[in-house]
Amino acid sequence: MTAPSFVWLTVFFALPTLLIFAIALKPADPLGGIGEGWTLDTLRTLSNPNYPAIVARTLRLSAATTALCLLLATPAGYHIARASARWRQILLLLMIVPFWTSFLIRVFAWKVLLHPEGPVKRLLLALGLASPDSLLLYNEGAVLLVMVYTYLPFAILPIYAAAEKFDFRLLEAARDLGARGFYAFIHVFLPGIRRALWTAVLMVFIPALGSYVIPDLLGGPTSEMIGNKIAQRAFADRNLPHASALSALLTLGVLAPMIWVLFLQRRRDRRPAAAEAAP
Amino acid sequence: MKRSRLPALTTLLLLVFFYLPIAVLIVNSFNASRFGGAWEGFTLDWYARLFRERSVWLAVRNTALIAVGATLASVILGTLAAFALHRFDTRLQRAHYLLMYAPLVVPDLLMGISLLLFFVAAGFRLGLFTVFLAHTTFCISYVAMVVLARLQDFDESLLEAARDLGADAWTATRRVLLPLLAPGIAAGGLLAFTLSIDDFVITFFVSGPGSTTLPVRIYSMIKHSRHLPMINALSAILMIVTFGAAWASRRIGERNAA
Amino acid sequence: MSGFLVFEDVAKHYGPIKAVDGCSLEVARGEFYSLLGPSGCGKTTLLRMVAGFEQPDRGRILLDGKDLSDLPPNRRKVNTIFQNYALFPHLTVYENIAFGLRVARRPAAEVRAEVDRMLALIQMEDQAHKRPDQISGGQKQRVAIARALINKPQVLLLDEPLAALDLKLRQRMLIELDLIHDEVGITFLYVTHDQGEAMSLSDHIAVMNAGKIEQIGTPTEIYEAPRTSFVAAFIGDTNFFEGTVRETLDGDYVRLAVEGLPDLVCFNDKRIPPGGRVYLSVRPEKLRITREPPTPDPRRNAIETTVEDVVYLGSHTRYWARIGEYRLAVQQQHSRYLLDEKPIVWKERAWVSWHADDGFMLEQYRESDEALMSLPPAEDAGEAAAKPEKRVW
Repeated sequence: MTAPSFVWLTVFFALPTLLIFAIALKPADPLGGIGEGWTLDTLRTLSNPNYPAIVARTLRLSAATTALCLLLATPAGYHIARASARWRQILLLLMIVPFWTSFLIRVFAWKVLLHPEGPVKRLLLALGLASPDSLLLYNEGAVLLVMVYTYLPFAILPIYAAAEKFDFRLLEAARDLGARGFYAFIHVFLPGIRRALWTAVLMVFIPALGSYVIPDLLGGPTSEMIGNKIAQRAFADRNLPHASALSALLTLGVLAPMIWVLFLQRRRDRRPAAAEAAP
Repeated sequence: MKRSRLPALTTLLLLVFFYLPIAVLIVNSFNASRFGGAWEGFTLDWYARLFRERSVWLAVRNTALIAVGATLASVILGTLAAFALHRFDTRLQRAHYLLMYAPLVVPDLLMGISLLLFFVAAGFRLGLFTVFLAHTTFCISYVAMVVLARLQDFDESLLEAARDLGADAWTATRRVLLPLLAPGIAAGGLLAFTLSIDDFVITFFVSGPGSTTLPVRIYSMIKHSRHLPMINALSAILMIVTFGAAWASRRIGERNAA
Repeated sequence: MSGFLVFEDVAKHYGPIKAVDGCSLEVARGEFYSLLGPSGCGKTTLLRMVAGFEQPDRGRILLDGKDLSDLPPNRRKVNTIFQNYALFPHLTVYENIAFGLRVARRPAAEVRAEVDRMLALIQMEDQAHKRPDQISGGQKQRVAIARALINKPQVLLLDEPLAALDLKLRQRMLIELDLIHDEVGITFLYVTHDQGEAMSLSDHIAVMNAGKIEQIGTPTEIYEAPRTSFVAAFIGDTNFFEGTVRETLDGDYVRLAVEGLPDLVCFNDKRIPPGGRVYLSVRPEKLRITREPPTPDPRRNAIETTVEDVVYLGSHTRYWARIGEYRLAVQQQHSRYLLDEKPIVWKERAWVSWHADDGFMLEQYRESDEALMSLPPAEDAGEAAAKPEKRVW
């Protein structure tokens, strides 16, 4: 029973992932293929002076997306979890339904919304918040906004799931012992859903690092992320080894936070047993 | 005890944030204006033009072919994998689980580029077949996880009861386990189907000439923005189809739960 | 009674449901006061209004002469022991107890000294660094008490604090609670559905039913002189007879006409005039059951019955005796049980008798009494109440 899926995933997932690192050590072939022999030249191209800025921007945008998603998802998850059973169902459904539509279409919808002649621009003009030549699209702000839009459900769902299991009497206990509402929220609620917060960080930060479509369609040349460079090297330049080297870098960038969070959680687990152990 | 209104306000704000772009898109699909900034009158013209666009129909056909193929393959492979993961607890299965779990977290960009490298290195010709292979690969994990969750809820004593009543292992599986697991397998299949239909990034990397799927077609329409209002119309249609499918699957789910 | 904690006509509705329907009561400083009633009677809502988790729709709650209404929970000098203790799972025992002082930003040295003092009080110095999921139910209870007491509240609110414990532990904690109350000398407001807990701990008990207070009194008053049929049936166990006062006998006693039974004599403390419709309530342990008719006595009622059931319970035996439509519960203590010639058995004829002073009359006649009357007395109320409630988290 194991064999078919195991072999399939080894061939089409594990092997290709390792290939990223192998091909980064291959020379390019002028026809767009992979050259013969081994070389370190491809890795040297990573010292391209544009790259540090792009890597920094990728990290910055991903971190900002993660922070904003958590900031919005935590109060929302809390609110949904505290609502009556009926409202909980309705709100949760309302939160998920927009994300049943195609990802590309959602990105496109924002392009329409932020278009120089689109509704948001007109509204801002009417309110005197924008000048006729201010541009809402093709900048980091637009990329960040739509990244938050895209990845919010990945933060809301784990946070809601944990909040729903949270014993809200603990907040009453904190109030009873003299804590103000906000203090109780920070010192009792957030530690109570700590695991879910870490899950949300991973669920948002990792795909955010690999963003490609959003900066491609809504960003300009000054808001490119590492994903754009990978695609450019692969399609525009037909330099697969170079794309591969960049991908290897991204893979390491993706693995690092995962290992870090796993390490944090394991350290916590080794301390006093989890709450489930209680009678 | 008075509760802060901030969480409720955030929730409301998010709902507006989530629905605004979609609502504007649908309204604009009936707007005679090219850029949708202002209402310039009702029209069905964009829909009419869309239906005359041959390339869109071709893309729909490709998308459907691949979705059906990848769903069938991934349901078989994923269900078998879930059984193996559930039944055995060996070092091999732990590696198997890791292999199953990793595609869920790896960004699709990385999966796309790695598959592209693999297909190029292995000398595959990019086309419908490579897209099918790629889609099956990421769908297996989703199907396996959904079915595995169902299996973990499954009451093992039901199988023991069946054996006790004289069924052999195969009969017990076929007459008791599979019927009870069917909704889980169906849910996994539905998930695989929608993921396959919706995938752009991976498809973009591994598709070749003649294997353009609908998302890839939409992408190039967006890129070459001559077709903008037509995409509105296409989006509106797709949304109605997905909402309808989602609603139907919920109804099926409810009927099974009842 | 000096009113330290005063409820003035407090009411709270949830939609059409009247959770608390006009309750007034006064709790004296330093006393152990219980709110006793079945689940859903409004006792917990009343407690939560003192804590500040709920706002009354009507009426006021005064603590030491000051109206609590506009104070949020964190500014009230009251602390709560929650039903499941609500210990913070992410904090150690030590940090749980320190929570109130940390919130108040007290200096570190003071926090340490106070927490150590509390740990000593609850005898858990060596458990300070464990987390709530690593200690037993009884220990959790003690941590919850220490956590609440460290804030030096004016009133300690206890919401069914023993409900989650098993019988043995409950009995031990009952004694500990009593000792702690004596030691700290603050006012305890205790909510419970368990009459045994309320009886053994309280200075005063308010019995509640359907959002209203049925009776306030000391445990003895509540048990021996219930004012309503609800109180009589809820506290302990009782037999009811439905009858009419036929005539007054030399002032203090009356003769009751009860359908299907000979006339009954009863002490008439409520001065009910002839013609009044009443319930006569007699507790099972006040009844005697004998094979021979008792010596005639004008102050003693005797009825010949058929024994329908006999349940031997070790310390006593419970009999069910039938006369007409009445099925009487009789509880007989054992003395010289094995030496007695022959115990009364099933289907035997036997005499049930009691002294006129041991019955009490209840005048009230309400719809809800009808339902109460149709219920047979519990098989054994003591046993039933002792069963720990199962909780599903």
